[in-house]
Amino acid sequence: MDQFGLLLDGFAGALTPGHLLWALVGVTIGTAVGVLPGIGPALTVALLLPITFRLDPASALILFAGIYYGGMYGGSTTSILLNTPGESASMISALEGNKMARAGRAAAALATAALGSFVAGTIGTVALTFVAPVLSDFATSFGPPEYVALMAVAFVTVSALLGPSLLKGGASLLVGLTIGLIGIDSQTGQPRLVFGIDSLLDGIDVVIVVVALFALSEAFGHLLTGTGHSTIEPLRERAILSKKDFKRSWPSWLRGTALGFPIGSLPAGGAEVPTFLSYSLEKRLTKHPEEFGKGAIEGVAGPEAANNAAAAGVLVPLLTIGLPTSATAAVILTAFQSYGLQPGPQLFSESGPLVWTLIASLYIGNVMLLVLNLPLVRLWAKLLTIPSYAIYAGVLVFATLGAYAAGGTTVDLLILCALGLLGLLMREAGIPVAPAIVGLILGPIAEEQLRRALTLSEGDPSILLSGSITIVLWAVVVLAVLTPLGRAWWRRSRRAKATVTPGSGR
Amino acid sequence: MTATEPVEQTGAEPERPERRTVLASAAFGGLMLVAAVCVVVDAVRLPETSGVVGPAAVPLPIGVLLGAVGATLVVRARLQLRDAAPGETRPAHGGLRVAAMVATLVAFAVLLPVLGYVVSSAALFAVTAILLGAPRPAQMIAYGWALSALVFLTFDRLIGLTLPTGPWGF
Repeated sequence: MDQFGLLLDGFAGALTPGHLLWALVGVTIGTAVGVLPGIGPALTVALLLPITFRLDPASALILFAGIYYGGMYGGSTTSILLNTPGESASMISALEGNKMARAGRAAAALATAALGSFVAGTIGTVALTFVAPVLSDFATSFGPPEYVALMAVAFVTVSALLGPSLLKGGASLLVGLTIGLIGIDSQTGQPRLVFGIDSLLDGIDVVIVVVALFALSEAFGHLLTGTGHSTIEPLRERAILSKKDFKRSWPSWLRGTALGFPIGSLPAGGAEVPTFLSYSLEKRLTKHPEEFGKGAIEGVAGPEAANNAAAAGVLVPLLTIGLPTSATAAVILTAFQSYGLQPGPQLFSESGPLVWTLIASLYIGNVMLLVLNLPLVRLWAKLLTIPSYAIYAGVLVFATLGAYAAGGTTVDLLILCALGLLGLLMREAGIPVAPAIVGLILGPIAEEQLRRALTLSEGDPSILLSGSITIVLWAVVVLAVLTPLGRAWWRRSRRAKATVTPGSGR
Repeated sequence: MTATEPVEQTGAEPERPERRTVLASAAFGGLMLVAAVCVVVDAVRLPETSGVVGPAAVPLPIGVLLGAVGATLVVRARLQLRDAAPGETRPAHGGLRVAAMVATLVAFAVLLPVLGYVVSSAALFAVTAILLGAPRPAQMIAYGWALSALVFLTFDRLIGLTLPTGPWGF
C-alpha cells in the first residue's frame, strides 16, 4: 500500500499547472511527430534533448514521457491511414488497420486503436506502479556481475529481435558499441579512437548519432528512391466505436495488454514481439477468421493494445535497472543522465518524488491522449497531407538544429553528415539502426560494470558467473544466440533434402 | 552443374535478397573490416596502466567481433550475389541527388557561423525540398525563411539557446 501514498504524492506533484502544461505540450508534440511518416518517438526525444536543458528535470522528464506515449498514438494513426508504419512495432496495425481504412472503416479502426491504447496504457501504467518498486528493491542486491550479465542479455536479444537476423542486428550493435568507445576512457583518462581530432575527445554526442541514423538516413533514402506517392485513406466520420465493434474489441485489448506488459518489462528487446504474438493469438481465437487479412477489427485492437502495454513495460527495466530495451528507452536514459540522474535501483530511493511525479504524469498523459485523439483525429490526419518533400526538408532543419545545440561546432555537423551516410548504407543493406542506439548508450555502462567486476575479483573472470542469477542470465544469452543459428541449420538441412533431385550429383 | 549449398538466412529476411541489398551488405561488411583494423590498432597502441583491466580490455574483443561479423557479411554477400533478385528500378540520378545533399550539408556546416542561422537554415530547407522534387522552388524558399525565422525566434530569443548570427544580426 506504500505505493498508493507515494503515487498520490506524485499526482500532487504532476497536477501543478506548470507540469500539466508540459505534459500537454509533450503529448501534442508526440502525437504530431508520431503522425508524420518516418519520424519515430526516439528521434523526437533526441531532437528535443539539447533544447530542454533549461527546464527543470521534472518538467523535462514529463515532457519526454508525453512524447513517448504520444508517439505511440500518432504512429497508429499513420499506419492505419497511410500504410507506412513509422516504427516496426506498429507494422501489424498497418496490416489489418489499413485494410479496414480501405474498406471505408477507418473511423472504427482509429477508434479501436485509440481506445485500446488507452486501456492498455492505463493498465500498463498501473502494473508499472506496482511492479517497478518491487523489482527495484530486488535489484538493489545486484552487483557488477549481475549487471554485466543483464546487459549481455539485452545486447543479444536486441540484436536478434530488432532486425531481420541476428547477424545484421549484431552488426548494428557493434557499430553502436564502437561509436561508444570514441573519446577519453573515463577510468584511465586514455583517449580512444580519437585519431588526433580534438572534438572527438568528449566522444560523439548521442543526439548526433540518433539524429544521423534515424533522420538523415531517412532523408538520404528518399533522395535515392524518390518519395513516391502514398495514398491517404479518407476519413469521413467521427472516430466512434459501434456497439458491435466494441464487443469484438475489448477482449482483444485485454489479451493484448496481458501479452504486452510482461514481455515488454523483460530485460530483453522491445515491443515488437508482443504485437506479433497478439496478432497471431487474435487470428487463432477470432470468430471471424474470414475477415483476417481483409480488415479484422481484432487484428487492430489486440496488437495496438500490446504495443502500448509493452511501451509501459519497457519503462520497468529502464527505471529499476537502468536497462533500455528499445531505441526510445535508450534515448530517455540519456535524458535522465543529462540531468545527473542514473536510472537504477537507487533512483526510487534517491529521487523518489521525481519518479513518482513521472509515473503520475503517465496516467495524466494517457487521459490527455485519449481526449486529443478521439475527437481530434481528423486534425491529425490533415498532417498527413503535408507533401513529403516539405516534411523531410523540415526534418533536416530540426536535425541540424538538434545536432548544433548538442555539439555547437562545425565538426559536429560534419560528423552528423558522415553518420547519416553510414545510416543510409545500413538501410540499403537491411541492417536495423535500433540496436546501434542501444549499443551506443549501454556499451559504456556495460564496460564500466565489467571493469568494476574484474577489479573486484582482481582479474579473475569467474566472478562473472558467480551466483545463480548470473548463471541463469548467461544461459539466456547462450540460448538467444543458439536459437536462430539452430533454426537456420534446421531449415537448411530440410531445404537441402528438398532440393536434392535425381542426378544433381550432391 | 556443380552443386553448391543454397545459402539460407535466419529470421524474416526474404528468400531471394535484392542485388542492391546484397551489395550494400558487402560494402557495410567491408567498412566493418576497416573499422576492426582501426579499433585493434588503436587498442594495441594504448599504454599499460596499473589497473587490473586496462583501457584496451574492451576495445580488443569489440575489434575482433567487428572483423568477424564484417567478414561474415562479405562472404555471405558473395555467396548470395549469384541468385540475387534484380530489385525494382529507382528514379535516375539518385546517387547524384544524395551527393548534392551531402555537399549542401557540408556547405551548411561551414557557412553557418559566417552567414548566421536564419539564412543558412532557410537555404538548407529550400535546397532539400527542391532536391526531393518540390514543384515550386520559390514557394520552398518562402517556407524555408518562415520556418527558420520561427525557429530562431523560438529557440534563440524565447528559450535562450544561442544560435549563430550573421553580420546582419540573425
